[in-house]
Amino acid sequence: MGHALGTRSRPGRSVVTMSSITLATNRGRPFRTSNVLRQYVPLLPPSILLLVFFAIPMGMMVGLSFHPEGASTATLANYERFFTDDFTLAGLGRTVLMSGLVAICVTVMAYPVAYFLARSRSRWRAVVFALAIAPELAGVVLRTYGWLIILEDQGFINSGLMWLGLISEPLPLAKNMFGVVVGLTHVILPFGILSLLTSLQGVDPSLEKSAQILGASRISVLRHIVVPLTVPGIVSSMLLAFTMSASAYATPAILGGADFKVLATMVYEQVLFYIDWSFAAVMANVLLVMMLIIAAIGSRLEMRLHKKLHF
Amino acid sequence: MKCLFLAASAAVLSGAATIAHGQELIVNSYGGPYEQIIQDAIIKPFEEQFGVSVIYDAVGSSQQDYAKIKATNGRPGFDVVVMTASQSLEGCREGLLEPLSAEAVPNLAHLNAAISAVAGECGAVHELQYLALLYRTDMFEEAPTSWTDLYDERLDNRIVLPTFANIMAAFLTQLMSSVHGGDIDNNIDPGFEAMARLAAQSIGFEQASAILESYIRDGRVWAMPFWDGRAQLLVDSGAPVDYVLPKEGSIPLIATLNVPVGADNKELALQFVDFFLEKTSQERWVEGYKVGSARADIEVSEEARARKITTPADLDALLLPDLSSLASNLSAWGMRWEREVVPAAR
Amino acid sequence: MNRIVSGLFRVSIVLVMAFITLPLIVVMAASLSPSSQVTLVPWEWTVRWYGDLVARRWIDPFILSAQIAVLVSLISGVLGLLAAYVVAFEKCPGHAAIMSFLLSPLAVPQIVKGVAIVLFLSSAGLYRWVGTPGLVAAHIILTLPFAVRMIATAMFNFDRNLDRAGQSLGATKAQRIRHLLIPIIKPGVFSGMTFAFIISFNNIPLSVFLVRPGQTTLPITVINYLEYSLDPVLAAVNVASLLFVLAVIFVFEKIGGFSAQIHGGSK
Repeated sequence: MGHALGTRSRPGRSVVTMSSITLATNRGRPFRTSNVLRQYVPLLPPSILLLVFFAIPMGMMVGLSFHPEGASTATLANYERFFTDDFTLAGLGRTVLMSGLVAICVTVMAYPVAYFLARSRSRWRAVVFALAIAPELAGVVLRTYGWLIILEDQGFINSGLMWLGLISEPLPLAKNMFGVVVGLTHVILPFGILSLLTSLQGVDPSLEKSAQILGASRISVLRHIVVPLTVPGIVSSMLLAFTMSASAYATPAILGGADFKVLATMVYEQVLFYIDWSFAAVMANVLLVMMLIIAAIGSRLEMRLHKKLHF
Repeated sequence: MKCLFLAASAAVLSGAATIAHGQELIVNSYGGPYEQIIQDAIIKPFEEQFGVSVIYDAVGSSQQDYAKIKATNGRPGFDVVVMTASQSLEGCREGLLEPLSAEAVPNLAHLNAAISAVAGECGAVHELQYLALLYRTDMFEEAPTSWTDLYDERLDNRIVLPTFANIMAAFLTQLMSSVHGGDIDNNIDPGFEAMARLAAQSIGFEQASAILESYIRDGRVWAMPFWDGRAQLLVDSGAPVDYVLPKEGSIPLIATLNVPVGADNKELALQFVDFFLEKTSQERWVEGYKVGSARADIEVSEEARARKITTPADLDALLLPDLSSLASNLSAWGMRWEREVVPAAR
Repeated sequence: MNRIVSGLFRVSIVLVMAFITLPLIVVMAASLSPSSQVTLVPWEWTVRWYGDLVARRWIDPFILSAQIAVLVSLISGVLGLLAAYVVAFEKCPGHAAIMSFLLSPLAVPQIVKGVAIVLFLSSAGLYRWVGTPGLVAAHIILTLPFAVRMIATAMFNFDRNLDRAGQSLGATKAQRIRHLLIPIIKPGVFSGMTFAFIISFNNIPLSVFLVRPGQTTLPITVINYLEYSLDPVLAAVNVASLLFVLAVIFVFEKIGGFSAQIHGGSK
């Protein structure tokens, strides 16, 4: 395992700008094979699996979205229904707002933890790492009920505050946007931490050290070196958090209450209760297009921030 | 270490590969603690009598099971499934459920003909429930007698309602429509208007019956609509609650046994359906699950006789909606519920 | 100034850790409470719900979930390795497109993927695949994006110059793979496999449609039980499976040095 250390602190690779969405192409492969097509051969097994169990089934769903039950020819009727209905549109708006808030909360909370994991040499690091991924180990449903017990009107926080006499009416912590954002942030935080960690590990610690030796304060090291270099990580963490929240079902369903409908909960109802898969496919497609737009905005933003913050 | 790992994964692989596709009968029905009741009352006696083994599958609400039958085009993997009469009708129309003949299921002849007709030719009615008014005995000086008692101002913030994804919500809206001058099938407007007012009284909506039930058990709510079978089980568990059939009447939940068209063990499945409809099986079921029966000739305790639907007269007193229109109305009603009822809460 | 900053830094980490642990403590307390009313008073606690776990109702689904998760984890590791190799090392065009293709399943709600797979299988006449084979394949679709990302990240850390050095010193291709490449990417592969295991073991929405009657995964059994009863036994199931997953991670860590990934490969 000795070589591994050597690869880390080599000065030449300090500016690692790869993110998981825009991949660096300048690295090249170590073991050359001559045939161009042969390069793609290893992709075959994963691609076949993805084709059979994802692309073809989803293709069927896309087809289904143009064929509502009873329609003999392709029609946009279900898309029209989606975009002319204030109820579904409100659900779409709520989805964007919720996912955006979660993306920000996750990234802001994950950053210090990831930084600690990437830099600290303390023996607490293992503990922090274990705790950081702990939420993922427990099932979503029960964890969400855990939050409900904490946040609901007669939950721990409200009954505690009322017992202390600080409030007379319970605070609206659950069955609304606040509760959902708290729950989703908890679910997605480990992914944010891991995603930022990868990016922070790409920043050479000796860069920070030299800046400090040259008299820069920690704040300015953070602002002028660490944050600019991890912009790709920040953007990819936000995109991941956004994507995961927009398609999450259990947390909004349990912590959101009956009037908190997001696209994912509406899709769930269409699939399992109304059994209208055509309309469910329309919603899923809208969700997909929305995520593509957000991803495009994300990579734009990444490039712009990168130019602006890069020294 | 590596060897151990390989050996372990090989064991897992072979284990997964040898999972047998059953000769056994697979029955999909009630889950949770209620599984024990059907095991004792029906499944174990059936296994003994026919010398077969039954694999019990408790997954999914009946609507989810229906979704699965539809997605697999009638081959969901289970041989017998419990559904409601409206799903039974729809599944029959779509060719997903097996029609049941009097030759294959002789006991069908003993069921009340009117009820059997409601469920169509694919469903065997094995259980009847009605929407009851469940209330806290320690909070009511006298038992409520009318659905309009739910609007009492003392019950403000003391009621919980089902979400629309619980089929109870649709039935409740129909019932409230009838109570408030509309009717249960076409003129449903008074129902939504009444539900909106009821929502304003409520603390909110929950989907799972277990959670609805927990609210009245721990005293956060004092009254709610609930099916009479589980209401009785709640009473029997010692909770300070009781239930009534209000004077305006109620709507029945007609539960059916169905066999998907692609069932692997169709013959055995039909035998199971017939066994469930036997006089003795129905008696055990009425006493065990605390529900009513479509067989008039069963002999049950006075208590069950008094509180459950066991005679044609009991049934005539209830409002029977047009179940074939329910399925087609569901989506539109769901949309109305989300717009008119849900926002009225709080 | 620096002191304030590092103080704030430490406080923020403690707060985030508290945020992460809080609901887990509540679930643990729920599993020890005598009724569905959660109590935080230790002397009222009981372990009887854990005794209820020793029943076929919980053991069978647990075994099935574990089997599926192990298969998913192994296959995701292999497929992830193949895909990441092409993405990270091959100089062929279309990296970004390949990566987006591999990551695309993340953007579709799982319940839609679930119903789509079942619709496809039944229209292709492959009913037999519903159940374990379908579950494994569907879970891999979900875990592959994570595996590819983690493995590709580890591969990006591989330095070509190191390989050139090895080559000029006369090492054969096999030797270079064994002594240079494998040690560096191993943590990435194992962290990808660990995540695949966790995601598969806890999955609900994809499995809803794909479980075969009578062969139900643990999370599906849990939500189904929840529909009928709010017993603390559910919390006990959750805590027990959490401990199980921890044990699995420990094993993976022993074999593959999972945490080497976070220790920056400096182990």
